[in-house]
Amino acid sequence: MKVGIVVFPGTNCDRDIFWSIKTLGGTPVYIWHEQEDAGDIDCIILPGGFSYGDYLRVGGLAKFSKIMDRIGLFADEGKFVIGICNGFQILCESGLLPGVLMRNINMRFICRDIFVKVERSGYVFTKNIEGKILKMPIAHKEGNFWCNNETYEGLKKNGQIVFSYCTLDSEIKDAANPNGSLHNIAGVCNIRGNVLGMMPHPERVCEELLGGVDGRQVLDFVGRENG
Amino acid sequence: MRFVVVVKLKQGILDPQGKAIRKVIERRGEKRIKDIRVGKYFEIEVEGSNRKETQKTVESISKDILSNPIIETVDIIQ
Repeated sequence: MKVGIVVFPGTNCDRDIFWSIKTLGGTPVYIWHEQEDAGDIDCIILPGGFSYGDYLRVGGLAKFSKIMDRIGLFADEGKFVIGICNGFQILCESGLLPGVLMRNINMRFICRDIFVKVERSGYVFTKNIEGKILKMPIAHKEGNFWCNNETYEGLKKNGQIVFSYCTLDSEIKDAANPNGSLHNIAGVCNIRGNVLGMMPHPERVCEELLGGVDGRQVLDFVGRENG
Repeated sequence: MRFVVVVKLKQGILDPQGKAIRKVIERRGEKRIKDIRVGKYFEIEVEGSNRKETQKTVESISKDILSNPIIETVDIIQ
């Protein structure tokens, strides 16, 4: 599958994603954020980093980049969009995903491995891995997911909570919550299930050499023809 | 024309930054500070002489760009 990787000024995980997609059999291409057209691609990934230096609010300026209009249409067409870390923040800011990512509750930048439980599958990103525990790194200062009660009930009802921070024994509890996220939410998708946002970095764990391959379970759909 | 816009976290949204500042003040001996909430302050110069019109422009950018309505409120002070 041909995967577009959007590069904003300040994006810094674009090369990691590029490498991982290539490794998993996909065809990655870079898309500069000022491009209006994404070309003929099957999936768009918004990588991690510090788009626009995190000025104003994380993702708050990137959402006005030209490419974002195209990404909205792309999502409407049912094609796949993934936002990782800063990409997740941008998708929330642009309204393609519900909620918002606030400053971590301990006010610190957290960079370490965490465990997440795959809460749902059926959709392409987490096909066949429902209930699994994945070990992936997080690296962020604004990963504290929040939404109002009504939105949360909707997320639950529609099965939009994709990843939750958990212990190695798959317990979802405060002790396993690194950043204060509402109900340990680490990743959500839209109702249709084709837009995914997640704080952990699957692209950083696609090689044994780098300490793990759990990220492949999330990203390996890029190696298939149509997901 | 000059406007001042203040963006604040909505009531009920936890503000760990404000809490941390309050704690430090308390540690320094001032026990009377009950709560501190941190916001953003913008000074905006707008071209134009029609007050109503420029106010509208400022309102619109405050809502669409300067704040995230899910967690923040906007006050336009002047």
